[in-house]
Amino acid sequence: MRVRIRFEKTGIMRYVGHLDLMRFFQKAVKRSGLPIRYSEGFNPHQIMSFASPLGVGLTSEGEYMDIDIKEEVASAKGIASLNENMVEGLAITSFKYLPDNAEKCMSAVTAASYIVTYKDSKDDACYIDNICDLKEKFFDEAAAINIVKKTKKGERELDLKPLIYRFNIEVKDGVPVYDLLLLPEFDELTLDIHRVDMFTGEAYSFVSLGDIGDEH
Amino acid sequence: MKKLALPDDILMQIDKPARYIGNEFNSVIKNPADVDIRFAMCFPDVYEVGMSHLGIAILYDMLNKREDTYCERVYSPWPDLHNLMKERDIPLFALESQDPIKDFDFIGMTLQYEMCYTNILQILDLAGVALLTKDRENNDPIVVVGGPCATNPEPIADFVDLVYVGEGETSYPILLELYKKHKASGFDRAAFLREASKIPGIYVPSLYEVTYKESDGTIESFKPIYDDVPATIERQVVKDMDSSSYPTKMLIPFVRAIQDRVILEIQRGCIRGCRFCQAGMIYRPNREKSVEVLKAQAKELLASTGHEEISLSSLSSSDYHALGELMDFLIDDCLSEGVNVSLPSLRIDAFSLDVMSKVQDVRKSSITFAPEAGSQRMRNVINKGLTVEDILGGATLAFKGGWNKVKLYFMLGLPSETDEDMKAIPQLANDIAAAYYETVPKDQRQGRCQITISTSFFVPKPFTPFQWAPMYEAGEYLRRAKVVNDEMKAQLNQKSLKYNWHHSDVTVLEGVFARGDRRLCPAILDAYNSGCFFDAWGEYFDFDKWLAAFEKNNISIDYYAYRQRDLDEILPWDFIDCHVSKNFLKKEWNNAMAGNVTPNCKMGCSGCGSAKIGSGVCHNAR
Repeated sequence: MRVRIRFEKTGIMRYVGHLDLMRFFQKAVKRSGLPIRYSEGFNPHQIMSFASPLGVGLTSEGEYMDIDIKEEVASAKGIASLNENMVEGLAITSFKYLPDNAEKCMSAVTAASYIVTYKDSKDDACYIDNICDLKEKFFDEAAAINIVKKTKKGERELDLKPLIYRFNIEVKDGVPVYDLLLLPEFDELTLDIHRVDMFTGEAYSFVSLGDIGDEH
Repeated sequence: MKKLALPDDILMQIDKPARYIGNEFNSVIKNPADVDIRFAMCFPDVYEVGMSHLGIAILYDMLNKREDTYCERVYSPWPDLHNLMKERDIPLFALESQDPIKDFDFIGMTLQYEMCYTNILQILDLAGVALLTKDRENNDPIVVVGGPCATNPEPIADFVDLVYVGEGETSYPILLELYKKHKASGFDRAAFLREASKIPGIYVPSLYEVTYKESDGTIESFKPIYDDVPATIERQVVKDMDSSSYPTKMLIPFVRAIQDRVILEIQRGCIRGCRFCQAGMIYRPNREKSVEVLKAQAKELLASTGHEEISLSSLSSSDYHALGELMDFLIDDCLSEGVNVSLPSLRIDAFSLDVMSKVQDVRKSSITFAPEAGSQRMRNVINKGLTVEDILGGATLAFKGGWNKVKLYFMLGLPSETDEDMKAIPQLANDIAAAYYETVPKDQRQGRCQITISTSFFVPKPFTPFQWAPMYEAGEYLRRAKVVNDEMKAQLNQKSLKYNWHHSDVTVLEGVFARGDRRLCPAILDAYNSGCFFDAWGEYFDFDKWLAAFEKNNISIDYYAYRQRDLDEILPWDFIDCHVSKNFLKKEWNNAMAGNVTPNCKMGCSGCGSAKIGSGVCHNAR
């Protein structure tokens, strides 16, 4: 039986990297007593996979992992037994049984939404109108947003425009809040980046990874 | 959200920020306002090393069981963070509360190896606490150290207020009660230290005076300044391991620790009496836990940590009386649940190979032998009760069982070692390779066998029969490594052999500290001030800075490391009573020089002196 678990990674847990987080979850699942399935072979490991890794420094309320369990556990009980084994900044928010044909979260994810704010936003407040104007020119009216992407093999030009599915600016408490829906790989250290959710499916008909499956 | 001592921009630019945020599962959170004593427990090395240490885990659990005490952890900030903290004046903090440790009642540090001495100064320096005990004021924290190097604390005598000599489980409650009493009635630092010096196992370096002979600079006298301060400090040991405090939970670090597993201490001390081994002497007598207690602790710790591996910890696991029963239990109860069992410090025999084949992938793992010396003569000198038949027999069994990788550990530079003894190391490795080709038919071999030889350079340690032995200069160690390397190339099976050896500069320095005295303190301080710390890490070790610090302070490496000490000399650590008597050590030194083997504690008592503890192997029926 495959279960999709949605969780939050917030606060000081932003400083814990993805590999360390995976090891934390392996031990947390073990402590929780959930009947997780192990792989066959000499070094059995828990069958557990994560959707897109979240970079160090980012927070999220829409993280996902899929696990295989040997017998059914009520969703509410699954959530409770895992939450007993979390630390501050990690919380399980859903526990749903996946249909047999559901794609693994790791390969299913095609987009993610983010809320982006400046870490130090006091100066921004004066320029809200400017920022909205700039965004219109930079994004709404632009045919392409060309950047140079550095990779291990060298540099190449890349057009960001088709990779950004949504880009809105809202004003909350007098400061701009950027709402973005784009490819899941995203990293920038001068900004506070909070992932809201991850999605599967095709552009403009995305479905939240958390909307697949049912509670039992 | 939990408060952090470090700002976001620092956490985002340093390596592994999760080292510094605390928040680990099973860490203890208390309200500092609810306790009388705040204790910062430091491991003066990087987080991943310190988090693997069992002693700290035991004391952290034990101290936090007290309602009046909040014990928090501190590890050495890595140089990247060290520089930023200095630059921005951020005081060193404890992981749990993230509060500056300068405001704590105690700063405790464990001394696991000599090369951490500058890191003690780093911790005090970053904390904003005076480096020298004489400069500390009434309200500064009490700096206390313990651990194996506390059996010769003299090289750091000027930096510490108290030294806890021995196993922490016994005297800490008495020390904390005394502190509370003094704190409640207007704390006076000097008065507290004076009273603390009377607690069993507590040594207050500032209350002792050392004089030196003009003729050769050796110690003339070592005595307390006041009549009511004891002249001898008795090392503290736990008498009953079963009832001794042991954690039921262990912290789960986010950053992978070196020991990412449950550590189950099955016994303390060792029956073997290898003459180079300090642990084998100072942890006497050998004291075992009962198998029932171990089964319960194993189950509880696996459940509370979620670790998928459990490792048995002791100096020589094969000597544990009920190893078979314990292993059967672990294999039957734990393996099915996806938990691995790892077994360090095992003697290679039919039993251990059978166990190992059950718990590990034979094709991938290697068998480890620690013959420590290549020739039988040399093994007799060091009292390593292992014959060439034991080694070749064990290796042959392992080859039959499917292993084809063997690791061999040796020491170079042992007392009385000759070139013949050095050459015997690769010769033994060659014989093991030959045993492989004789044992495993050609069609069953998966390529060559792989025999890896590692040598470290011997460092004489206090409270061992070799405490009087001379060391060699760095160049001589490398010559010895070359003798081994050249001889290896002359072996028939040289293509199956591989040789690794250690650097020798750090060995010499370790030798100076191990048997040093308090005249070294100014040099260690100068070395730290000139930028030495993390000396145990090759990339930060700077021998030239150390040589400069020694020169400035008239420290002769020759005096501390290379000379043969007289058996009647007053040694800097003679004021500590480790239960093993000096007479026994002298007798063992003479036995070593004569090549005589001394039986292990289970075969017969050799009268080392530790029987006076009144428990352990000395009092078990043989």
